[in-house]
Amino acid sequence: MSATALPSTSNPPGIIDQALADRLAGIVGAKRVLYRPSELLTYTSDGLPSYHKQPGLAVFPGTRDEVVAVVRVLAERHVPFVPRGAGTGLSGGALADGLVLIGLNRLTRILSIDAENCRAVVEPGVVNVALSRAVAQYGLHYAPDPSSQAACTIGGNVAENAGGPHCLKYGVTTNHVVAITAVLPSGEIVELGDTEGEHEGYDLVGAFVGSEGCFGIALQVTVRLSRNAEAVRTLLADFMSLDSAARAVSGVVATGIVPAALEMIDQATIRAVESSIYAAGYPTDASAALLIELDGAAAGLEHDVATVESICKSSGARTVRIARDEAERARLWQGRKKAFGAMGRVSSHLVVQDAVVPRTRLPEVLERIHEIGERHRVRVCNVFHAGDGNLHPNIAYSAADADETARVHLAMREIMRACVDVGGTITGEHGVGLDKLEYMALIFSPDSLATMCALREVFDPERRANPGKVVPMHACREWTAAPAARVTSRGRA
Amino acid sequence: MTAVALPGVGALVDRVRDAAARRAALRVVGQGTWFDAGRPVLAQETISTRDLAGIIEYVPGDLTLTARAGTTLAEIVEATAAHGQWLALDPHGGDAGTLGATIATASSGPLATGFGTPRDLVLGLELVTGAGIVARGGGRVVKNVAGFDIARLLTGSWGSLGVITEVSVRLHARPAVDESIIVPLPAKSGAVERVRTLLRRIPFTPLACEVVNAALARALGAGAAPAAIVRLGGNREAVAAQRAAFDELGSVREIDVSVWQRLRTIESRDAIVFRLSALPARIESVWTSAAALEGEGALIHAAPARGIVRCVLRRSDGTTAAAASVLSSTSCSRIGERLPSELWAILPRPGADALSRRVKHAFDPAGVLNPGVIGELE
Ligand SMILES: Cc1cc2nc3c(=O)[nH]c(=O)nc-3n(C[C@H](O)[C@H](O)[C@H](O)COP(=O)(O)OP(=O)(O)OC[C@H]3O[C@@H](n4cnc5c(N)ncnc54)[C@H](O)[C@@H]3O)c2cc1C
Repeated sequence: MSATALPSTSNPPGIIDQALADRLAGIVGAKRVLYRPSELLTYTSDGLPSYHKQPGLAVFPGTRDEVVAVVRVLAERHVPFVPRGAGTGLSGGALADGLVLIGLNRLTRILSIDAENCRAVVEPGVVNVALSRAVAQYGLHYAPDPSSQAACTIGGNVAENAGGPHCLKYGVTTNHVVAITAVLPSGEIVELGDTEGEHEGYDLVGAFVGSEGCFGIALQVTVRLSRNAEAVRTLLADFMSLDSAARAVSGVVATGIVPAALEMIDQATIRAVESSIYAAGYPTDASAALLIELDGAAAGLEHDVATVESICKSSGARTVRIARDEAERARLWQGRKKAFGAMGRVSSHLVVQDAVVPRTRLPEVLERIHEIGERHRVRVCNVFHAGDGNLHPNIAYSAADADETARVHLAMREIMRACVDVGGTITGEHGVGLDKLEYMALIFSPDSLATMCALREVFDPERRANPGKVVPMHACREWTAAPAARVTSRGRA
Repeated sequence: MTAVALPGVGALVDRVRDAAARRAALRVVGQGTWFDAGRPVLAQETISTRDLAGIIEYVPGDLTLTARAGTTLAEIVEATAAHGQWLALDPHGGDAGTLGATIATASSGPLATGFGTPRDLVLGLELVTGAGIVARGGGRVVKNVAGFDIARLLTGSWGSLGVITEVSVRLHARPAVDESIIVPLPAKSGAVERVRTLLRRIPFTPLACEVVNAALARALGAGAAPAAIVRLGGNREAVAAQRAAFDELGSVREIDVSVWQRLRTIESRDAIVFRLSALPARIESVWTSAAALEGEGALIHAAPARGIVRCVLRRSDGTTAAAASVLSSTSCSRIGERLPSELWAILPRPGADALSRRVKHAFDPAGVLNPGVIGELE
């Protein structure tokens, strides 16, 4: 491919060429179709800096009708495509290696807000926090709050079944999505779920949420809104060992009090945060800190705060600090929410892992992770949703150092295995994408993977939407004898 | 028709494969307590999961439990209560039913107001597809996005995509105080709406809140007037404040927690049962549609926060005709639980759309699992 133009061939199926670019430009306008490598640079990676894949072409529709028209042109020509929201994903899910990337970040309208029924209907490009801001005047918010909420989109959240610190009490994306209008890769528009009454029939909303762009594009999402809590208390407890912090987590959960959030931050992370512009006043000599938030009705809340405080102390907390006001609370959270960013400053590259283990196994797994890190001489930072057992062991490293890079990957593989060994899973909220493909076989049998492929083919028989993600390709082969059409060329000239 | 109970997943696989090869339709049941629930199924042979029973893993500290599909809810109640926990799922019909059937039918009860429905509690499951393939979706931990969500797809699929053989669920710790109250309501229009607006306004969600009509209140031994029955949970101070919030509805008195068990088991096996629903703010009009059946002795209850009204009628020609007239005249969402076939014929067929049919075909290519149960047949 030359730097300025796409090849102008005839167009066999699956080929990205000038004629296709022209067709798409006819729908969205020439400025909204990018194919020069320099223009595509932004779209060669997502939130994970370790992968770079250049799309063959990127197209940015501005309306729902334009999205549908684009998808129909691609269907006509059997061209594979990848939907993309804000590109904050942490599993390489939005990468389009030589394929058509469909950017949905221009579809930012909140179509309706029904405060009385706690519902909103949004376009996929609406930024997560923008929705909460828009409904704040009604005393409502959108509960799933990924740490990336200032940037990530509802469409991306739906595709990843995103979670966040407050999902411990309030549930993840799938618990808050009521209905979805989607365009399937064939161009067919489907309405999933029921926007008003109870839904009967297959839970296709449940199937679509978490489908990582492989089932089609969410055009419109009906979400449930949550009422703001009457009162909120945020505590920071610091510990001299990871183990005592982990015991405090179990202790709190066992009481029956469900904190709105229960996050753990280890020493390496604390130090990264405290030496960044996001310094939150975490004690840098502590081995671990727990950020605990309790919310709900004001009556009885102080009683729960006192219970949690005493559990932390009896588990060995050195100090328990309770935020006095909203400003202090925001500062404590800022450190947590910007932790990945702060770690990114430490080194040029960062691998972010996302395993989940049974809560009671946290102490031993943290121990294992520490041991693995030491053995491979890599620096593992842990900052994670402890209440759910959702670990984020992260390793900052320099990709220029081949030896270090190799050690990082070995360590990560061992960490994943350790989590699976105790009955855990390979991803709690970031999705499989490309990054976790190799681990799928650790937790699913070939028959389970083939069943997932069969479900995907219900939505996308040609396997053109986000091909090669989530389920390893080899797992898909046997199930269906012959999918309708196979894309033979990726169209990269 | 007698149900063949399969002793293990291997035997089940053989049985399903054999049926698929012969294209012989199978009726899949758990304990069979709900045998006649759902749309009529066209099958000559019946298989039961009741022998696939027993809790496989329960670590109280993890608040998760994995059990074979044939395990009864009663067994789970007993195991978890010993640790001050519960599976917050109280489907109508009581605890004799199996976990697998509860998940397969996405059945819930009053606790859905506080804890959601089975889709919110299921973490993972194992199934045998209509092709006799053993597959798993989800996992045993409380958060999991690995792979496509087969577990949620199977939840509420009524056994038409696969026979569920094992389920992992999320548990909750029992609240320190679990108190139920009853508030009689005036027998005039607007009463249900008042309960809904109160629930919308107060700073907490009760564990359960059902409005019952006068006939149901009487059947429950809970007075002779329509009433709101509310289940409150939390620490002592929280529950006292919650209780006070209901004072504005009328005179609040405590009622024994056993009222919920009675509500779940009030209807006879051959009753006509269906639900009407809409957005919560329309609850009063949905209730009014259902109230047309009061003359037939209908027991009616509503979960105002969820916008759902549930009707129970004795089965007779008269009640069937009255129910038919309600079901065919309302514009809200209508879901049958147990109905005579002429009433099923009035209701929408959720499995009839092209996408649902493709799902069915992908999981059950020979169409042998509970054919007709989701209305997918012509
Ligand atoms: C600093 C940081 C912190 C993070 N914290 C969290 C966290 O706490 N919890 C969490 O869950 N995640 C977290 N993430 C990951 C990421 O933000 C989420 O996965 C988010 O949901 C991705 O949204 P996006 O709009 O950026 O999607 P993208 O990255 O653009 O895309 C992600 C996937 O969604 C698909 N997709 C996008 N839009 C659509 C659509 N409309 N229809 C169909 N498919 C679509 C893409 O094909 C891709 O597979 C974090 C990321 C960063 C960088």
